[in-house]
Amino acid sequence: MTIKIAQLSCGTEYSSVQYEIEKAARSVGAKIVYPDVSSADIDEAVKRFGFEPRSPQLKLMIARAVRLADGKYDADAVFITTCFRCAEAALVRNELRRFVQENTRLPVVTYSFTERLKASQLLTRMEALVTIVTRKELLSRERQTGITVGLDSGSSTTKAVVMENNKIIGKDWTPSGDVVASATSVLENALKMAGVEMKQVEAIGTTGYGRFTLGEHFHAKLVQEELTVNSKGAVWLADRQRGEATIIDIGGMDNKAITVRDGVPDNFTMGGICAGASGRFLEMTAKRLKVEVTELGAIADRGDWRNAKMNSYCSVFGIQDLVTTLGEGKRFEDVAAAACHSVAEQVYEQQLQEIDVRHPIIQVGGTSLISGLVTAVGEILGEAPIVPPDSQYIGAVGGALLSSGFL
Amino acid sequence: MSEIRETRLFMISPRSRLTPDQLVRMVHAFGAEALVKETCYGCLVEGPRDLVLSIRDKVREEYRNEVFTKVRAYPCSDPRRCRAQHGTRPGFAQLEEEWALLSRIQRGLEAVEAGAEYAEAPAKKRIPVNEFKKICEVQR
Amino acid sequence: MKVFIDPPNSLVLFDLVERFGHEPLSTMAAIQERVDNIEVDMPPMNVTLDDVVKGLKYAGVEVPSGVRGRLALWGPLIEAADAAIVMDDCPYSFGCVGCERSNLMVKYLIKRRGIPTLHVSYPEDDAQAIAFVAKAKEFLEGLK
Repeated sequence: MTIKIAQLSCGTEYSSVQYEIEKAARSVGAKIVYPDVSSADIDEAVKRFGFEPRSPQLKLMIARAVRLADGKYDADAVFITTCFRCAEAALVRNELRRFVQENTRLPVVTYSFTERLKASQLLTRMEALVTIVTRKELLSRERQTGITVGLDSGSSTTKAVVMENNKIIGKDWTPSGDVVASATSVLENALKMAGVEMKQVEAIGTTGYGRFTLGEHFHAKLVQEELTVNSKGAVWLADRQRGEATIIDIGGMDNKAITVRDGVPDNFTMGGICAGASGRFLEMTAKRLKVEVTELGAIADRGDWRNAKMNSYCSVFGIQDLVTTLGEGKRFEDVAAAACHSVAEQVYEQQLQEIDVRHPIIQVGGTSLISGLVTAVGEILGEAPIVPPDSQYIGAVGGALLSSGFL
Repeated sequence: MSEIRETRLFMISPRSRLTPDQLVRMVHAFGAEALVKETCYGCLVEGPRDLVLSIRDKVREEYRNEVFTKVRAYPCSDPRRCRAQHGTRPGFAQLEEEWALLSRIQRGLEAVEAGAEYAEAPAKKRIPVNEFKKICEVQR
Repeated sequence: MKVFIDPPNSLVLFDLVERFGHEPLSTMAAIQERVDNIEVDMPPMNVTLDDVVKGLKYAGVEVPSGVRGRLALWGPLIEAADAAIVMDDCPYSFGCVGCERSNLMVKYLIKRRGIPTLHVSYPEDDAQAIAFVAKAKEFLEGLK
C-alpha cells in the first residue's frame, strides 16, 4: 500500500528541493500528490479561508487544503512546506496547518526549507507520517506485555529499557559512542538490573538516529522513528494515554514538539536552527562553568535569568554571550538560569509556534532532568510541564511497549 | 531539419467553432511525422523544431485569430509533469484562466484587423476627501 | 528581436509576440533547456542548487530560496532581451509566477535594463481587449 502524502507548498521546485522531498517520501513507501483544483476553486477557497495572500501559489495552497478539508481529495497525510524567510508564506503555512487539523483527521507536518535541504533531513518526518497511517493499530497499544526491550540510540545518549508486563524492570543509559557498542553496554546493564537473560527477551524495538543499525544487529521486531515511539513512551510514562497532550523533547541535537491525541501524534515539528537551541548548548554551558550537566538545573534554580542576558540562537554567539557575562562577574547561578531560559525561549520561538499547544504539556528527554530548564519552559508557557519519572527513557520505553505488539 | 525538440500547445479560443478533433486532423495533414495529442483545449504537437514551426504557421494561416500557441517546456507525457502521476501541476490554473481570456483576445485581433480605433480607459481616481466629507454630511 | 514576456509563462503574450514577428523569451524555454539536460536528474524541473546559488546575483541570501531560484531562470532572459512586454494587474499567475515577490523583482529588473517596454493592462472587457491587442501590435511592429 502506497501512502499518499498531499503536498501543500510554495517554492519547492525553484529551490531545487522538490526532488529531495519526493525522494524522502519514496524511501518510506509514500508518494507525494497534489490535490486537484481548478481556477474557479481557488477564488472560492481563498474567500472562504479568509486570508488573501498576494502570491498566487499560496492561494493555490489554500485551495488544495480546502479540497482536503471537504473530503474531495483522498490523501493519507499532509506535508505543508514553504521557503524559509518568507513572511507571507510562514503565515499561510501555519494557518493552513491549523485549518487542516480543525477540518480533517489527517496527520500534518510543516517545514520551512532552504535550498540546502536534503532528503535525509525529511526522512524521520516522512517516516512518522507513514507510521501514523499504517500502524494505527500498533500505535493504539496502551499496555506492554511479555518481556521486551527498547533501545534508543540518540545523538547524545544511548538508552535501554527492559519491561515485563507493563513495568520497567531494568534500565541504563550512556553517552553515545559507537552505536552498537553503546547499545550493547546499556542493554547488558539493563538486563542485569532486571535479572533477565537475553534469551528470555521476546521482542526488541529500536528508535533514534541509530535505529536501523541497531535493528539489524539485534534482529529487532520494531524499527521505528522517534516521533511516534517517543510519543507513546511519553504518554505511557505520564499516564496520559487518553485525550490530548503536547510533548516537548529538547534533545541533544534537535528538539521535538509533538501534539498527540490518544498517544498518537497528529502534528509535530522537529529541528532547530542550530545546536544553540538544544541540550548541546546546556552541555557547553556546564563545561564552561566547570560543573556536570546534571548539576546545572539545580544551580539554575537558585539564579535569576534577568540578571544575565543571554541569547542561544546560535551556539557560537551563545557561548560568546556566556563568556562575556562571566567576564562581567555575574553569578554562576544567574548565568546557568539565563542559559536555561535562552534554550526554552528558542524552543518557544522555533518549535512551539508551529503547533497549537494542547494541555497538559509533558516534558521529556534527557534535558527534562535539568530542573532549571523545566522551570524556564513553564515560565515561558505559563504552565508547569509534567515531567514523568524516567522521562529520559521515553524512546526506550516506547520501543519496548510497541515491540510487544508483535508478540 | 533541425533536431531540436519542440513541444507546443495549441489552444482554441472559446469563441471558435473549431473542435480539438478537427484541429488534430488538420495538424496531422500538415506534418505526419509530428506527434499530436488531442487535449480538451486543442492539442499538443511535438517534433523537430522546424517541423513544429511550419505547422504553427499553417495553423495560423487557416485559423489566424482562433488558435493560439506557446511552447511547452516538457515533452508530451513526460512523467515529471504528468497529471496522472501527481495531480495537476501548478501552472494548470493559469492555462484555464488564459483559455477563458482568449475569446476577448480573438475579438481584439479581429477588431484591430478591421481597423478599429482604441481609446485609453480612463484611470480610476479616488474622490477628494472634501467631496467624500460632503457625501457623509448629506447622509447624516 | 528578442522580447521578454511578463508573466513569463503567458500564452497570450507568447502568441502575440510571435504573431507580430518577434522571438518571445519565456520561462518555458528556460525550463526546456533544463528538462532536456540528461546529465541532471533533479525532477521535475532540473532546477539545481547551482541555479539557486546563481540567483544570488539578483537577490541576497536573506531572500527566500524560491525567489532566488526563479530569478536565476528569468534574470538571464531579461539580460538577453531587446524589449519587453508586461501585462499588469493579472488576476491570475500560477505555476512559475506563483511568488509575488519574484514577480515584483522581475518588473524592476526589466525597468533597470532600460529596454523598450510596453505595459498593458489585463483586459476586462472587449473594448479593453481591443486596446490591448492594438497597443501590443503597435509596439511590436514598431520594434522592427
